[in-house]
Parts: sequence; structure tokens; C-alpha cells
Amino acid sequence: MSALKIRNLDVTLGNQRVLEQISLDVEDGEIAAIIGPNGSGKSTLFRAILGLVPYSGKISVLGSPIEKVLSSVGYVPQYFDFDRTIPITVKEFLSFAKPKLTSKETEELCREVRVDALEDKLIGELSGGQLQRVLIAQALFKKPKLLLLDEPASGIDIQGAKAFYDLVEHLNREHKVTVLLISHEVNFVYGFAHKVICLNRDLVCHGPPDKVLDKETLKKLYGSRIDMHIH
Amino acid sequence: MLELLTYPFMQRALVAGLLLGSLLSLIGIFVILRRMAFFSDGIAHASLSGVAAGVLLGSNPLFTAIGFSAVFAAIIAQVEKRTKLSSDAIIGLIFTSGMALGIILLSFGSGYRPELTSYLFGNILSLQWTDVILMAGLSALIAGFILARHKLIALFILNPETAYVNGVRIDLYRTLLYISIAVTVVLGMKLLGIILVSALLIIPVSTAKLTARSFHGLMWSTVIIADLDVVLGLVLSVFLNLPAGATIVLCGMAVFAIVAIISKIPKQQLAVSE
Repeated sequence: MSALKIRNLDVTLGNQRVLEQISLDVEDGEIAAIIGPNGSGKSTLFRAILGLVPYSGKISVLGSPIEKVLSSVGYVPQYFDFDRTIPITVKEFLSFAKPKLTSKETEELCREVRVDALEDKLIGELSGGQLQRVLIAQALFKKPKLLLLDEPASGIDIQGAKAFYDLVEHLNREHKVTVLLISHEVNFVYGFAHKVICLNRDLVCHGPPDKVLDKETLKKLYGSRIDMHIH
Repeated sequence: MLELLTYPFMQRALVAGLLLGSLLSLIGIFVILRRMAFFSDGIAHASLSGVAAGVLLGSNPLFTAIGFSAVFAAIIAQVEKRTKLSSDAIIGLIFTSGMALGIILLSFGSGYRPELTSYLFGNILSLQWTDVILMAGLSALIAGFILARHKLIALFILNPETAYVNGVRIDLYRTLLYISIAVTVVLGMKLLGIILVSALLIIPVSTAKLTARSFHGLMWSTVIIADLDVVLGLVLSVFLNLPAGATIVLCGMAVFAIVAIISKIPKQQLAVSE
């Protein structure tokens, strides 16, 4: 079954067409990565999937309109813009969203995502990598079937980003959660995503990374200055 | 000192002061978290039009100001949702046009209007029991909403999309939060006046932030500090024959300064001196 099915999606914001004729599928259990330059419509695609912007076309999430399956969708935002001096402990922050887990499951999940040692820390004092792990834990408290990650590793160093993608891969394998993420790190995407979705307002490519990510595609996405080296 | 409490005006002032101090400071936490101090200032100034309408119509200006401010807050929430205008620009538009409307309405009246001064600078000692009952009712309603939903409101402020995915109706929460802040600010005008009402939104939470190590701790300590500021300010203002609102603000600043100094002293040094 498709976890996500999009057909002929158009999004116009103001007078500007932001996404044009997007059709794609993400199958159950896949990790799919959306890549593309700044302004290519990646975040708008997420907002359309969540039903937060008006669109034409059809979007089906877990076989239903998004409003009916919100409780099965986890979302991890790119930014948390707030006054960092306001003291909110990680434990309190995790309790802000109503969890579907028992307290024992919650403890296990916190250990698994390695936020158990952070519970008494303040979220304003966390590093980028630690905050992302906390956000993932909160999203997983809903036992989601589909997890949306908006540029989860931006602002994290390479080691932190690698650890983060390892965690996402682990969650996909162990919790059978379908993952759709926006990423700038093409090299990481190449290594661990089952599917890549290349956006530049329209759909430039869509498929397994080793089949669709080539020099031509990257040139279409990022221009002629980019080069490709497979490690 | 205790004799003061036998005076009805002081009883009314203390009840209203404690109610409004608690409510303003509680809501101030969310104002600071969302970085919308300008919103509360803007609403306070714009509600001059509501005060003016009340004065002209011969009704209680507090009622009309509450109505006007709630409408302004709902307009700001809707315009923010439907346009690309920045929040500051929208608030600026409402702030200035609301005040301009108030000035024009006041020009239709004639003679000196002493009640206007009480809204500009606050005059808690002039409150009537009907005002206090209205304040108590609205405070209970707003505080009930904030306390019952504080986790989801905080989540909505931190990231609206995350809140939405967790079942929060973000348009409804935005509008309710804005109206709650607006009504609280207008109630607070009787205590501190249009010009100083933002002080109790900002000073107690800023003081509590210096020592609190959790959100729940922050909520409790903010309310306690606000009530301390109000009681100190009221008592001092009566003893020294000073304006109550301004004295409360300066007491709040003094408490902030003392807590700031103490919180900077290393804990070891405090232990030695004990």
C-alpha cells in the first residue's frame, strides 16, 4: 500500500506557482528523501501534505485525506523559533503532546532515541543534534505510521548528521515507520534513502537514488556548478 | 498597616490587584514565549477607542474597551493568517488606527473627562465592586483556559505545525490566545493604565526566569512574584501617597534587580554567608 500518493499537485501562493504537476508515490516502509535547491518547493510540498496550504490535485496519506489520519502522522520541524531563555525541560516539552504510549514504552523510547539522559535539561540549552533527537522522540510518542522530517540535520555537524541519519534508518527498520524527509545532504540521501524525490517546482526525478541521481539530474536541480563523486 | 485593610477601597484594590497581577503575569509567559510584547502594547493603545466610545455613550468604558480589544485581536489573528503582512506591521496598523479613532471620538465630547486619566495612568483605588466582579469573572475564564490548555498553547507557540499534527486547531488557538491577551490587557489598564500595563506582562516573568528551572516552576514563581509586586506597590503607594500603577511597576523593577543580583552571586558564597 502507498503511505503517500500524490497526483497532479499544483500549489500557487499569491501569484506564484510554487509546485507544478507533482505526482509521486511513497510506499509503506520506505525512506523517501526530497532534495532540491532553496525555493524549489520542498517545504511547501510538506505543508500541502499536511493540509496547511491550499492546493489542487489529490493527496492521499495512508489511504485517506490527511485530516482523518493526523493521529498517525509524526512531524519534526526544521526550526523551533522561541525565546530560548524560557525554561522548559525536555521532560515537560515531551509531555506537551499527548502520548499514545504507556509510561514503560515512553521510557524505552527515550532510551532508544538517547534522550533519557536529557530529560532534566532545558530545551533552550540543547545542541542542534540533541534538540532534533528530542523532536523525533516527541513525534514517535504518537506511534506514527508516517514520519515527516523537515531538513532534520541542518545546522548539525557531519558526525551529528551521520548519527541522526543512522537513527532514522534504525527507526524505519525497527518501528516499521515510513519516513519522508527533506534533505540538503545528497551524499547521505544516496547512502540510506530507498527513494529520492528531486524537486525544482516540478518533479525532476523520482525513484531509487542509484537509478535516478546522476550528473544530468543534479545539474537540472542545482545548476552546472555541482559535481558528483560516488564514494 | 492592618488598618488599611478595613477600608473598602483598599479591599477592592487588593482583590483586583491580586487577580490582575496573577492573570497578567501568567499570560505574560506566553507573550514572552511568542515574542509578542508589541502586541500587548498595541492592543492597550488601540483600546483607547473603546474607552472613548464608552465615555461618549455614557456606559462603563471598561465594557466597551473589552469589546473593542477582542475585535481588534480577532482582526489581527485573521489578517496574520490571510496575508503576508508581518505581525508587527499588522499590530502597528491596528495600534495607530485604534488610537486615532479614540482621539476623534473623544473630540466629539466636551469638558474635562477625569475617567480618561484613570485609563491612561491606571487608578485601582477608584474601582467599584461591579468592576471587581467583572474582573474576577473574566480572570477565571481566561486563567481557566490558559491553565487547562497551557501545554498545547506552548506547543502551538513553539511550532504551529507540530501543534497542528498533534490535533491543535491552530487558527482557533491563535484567535483565542490573542483575545485572551487583549482582554487581559484591557482589564489591566484599570490597574496600571494604557501606558504601563505591559509592565506586569513582562517584569514578573523576566524576574522568575532568573531562577526557574522548569516551565511549571516558571508559571508558579511568575504569579507569586507578580502578586508580591502588586501588594508591595499598593501598600507603598498608599503610605507615600504615590500613583498606585507607577509604584507597582517600580516595585516590580526593584524585585527584579534584587533577584538578578542574588542569582549572580555564586551558590558557594551564599552557603558561606549562611
